[in-house]
Amino acid sequence: SGEAFNVGRFLEETSPYAWAGTGIGLCIGLSVLGAGWGILVTGSSILGGGVRSPRITTKNLISIIFCEVVAIYGVIIGIVYSAKLQHVPENLLYTPHNYYTGYAIFWGGITVGICNLLCGIAVGITGSTAAIADAADPNLFVKILIVEVFGSIMGLFGLIVGLLMVGAAGDFTAAASVSPHVL
Amino acid sequence: MSVCPPYAPFFGFAGVASAMTLSTVGAAFGTAKAGIGIAGLGAFKPELIMKSLIPVVMAGIIAVYGLVVSVLISGGIKPGDYSLFSGFVHLGAGLACGMTGLAAGYAIGLVGDSCVRAYVREQKVFVGMVLILIFAEVLGLYGLIVALIMNTSAIGGDKCPSQ
Repeated sequence: SGEAFNVGRFLEETSPYAWAGTGIGLCIGLSVLGAGWGILVTGSSILGGGVRSPRITTKNLISIIFCEVVAIYGVIIGIVYSAKLQHVPENLLYTPHNYYTGYAIFWGGITVGICNLLCGIAVGITGSTAAIADAADPNLFVKILIVEVFGSIMGLFGLIVGLLMVGAAGDFTAAASVSPHVL
Repeated sequence: MSVCPPYAPFFGFAGVASAMTLSTVGAAFGTAKAGIGIAGLGAFKPELIMKSLIPVVMAGIIAVYGLVVSVLISGGIKPGDYSLFSGFVHLGAGLACGMTGLAAGYAIGLVGDSCVRAYVREQKVFVGMVLILIFAEVLGLYGLIVALIMNTSAIGGDKCPSQ
């Protein structure tokens, strides 16, 4: 009774293009989500504090730029990964190297996307507190900015790991001869 | 059932991803939570900000642990010559580093936030704060050590039969 789910068969039968496409989509989607979330948290604090202290509005745009940068990281990785998506006919697709590329892009995209998402939220929260501290006392801004810099290195680490993961992964290439499904 | 099936890198890369993303969860939480406390402290005693940046630095170190393990594991995943044994060991190493980094970062965030708020009122708590933060940081270090040990055991794994 019941169904047997064969994990290995599922991983072998799924097209490497499905893995690669999902990875690239998640990479850019989650990075932009993190950037947007950070900008909304920081921006609302800057504008709220700017009602009483209009001088903070220009200097605190740097926090918005820190959040924007994680979206740029997602775009860079998305473009680098998309360059590997070459067309290969279905009967020549299922080679070990193509499987490797598909999995590398999938997990690379998830890594970059989630790291950028978390970095964006952390930088957003810290930027919000920096704006409020700046409104209270202008000398505090540069010191709280140090915390933001520590927050933004996480996005950079995600970018590094994302690039390293696909370092050994070549483009999708056709097999030399027609290969049956490895079952 | 082969020793080196073509889907073995799926698990290896899952290990790389979990090491990086889970430690980043901990590091991001630690940075944000401690940063809120530090900004609040700055409104009252600005001269204490530099010393109270310690929780933020320690949360950043958790992210570095995740980076180190991810880089090491992804260096060992080769296309075409990768056994399922290595895949699962790399997955375990990544989860070990990631989960402990998540726990350590969470602890550093909460401890950092409360301790810097206490540091505003009573400067003698500084030494106690650093001691507690060190104990929280060391949790991430344990995960790093176990991940490194597992990674070295994956290096001496099964050899793939030549295709």
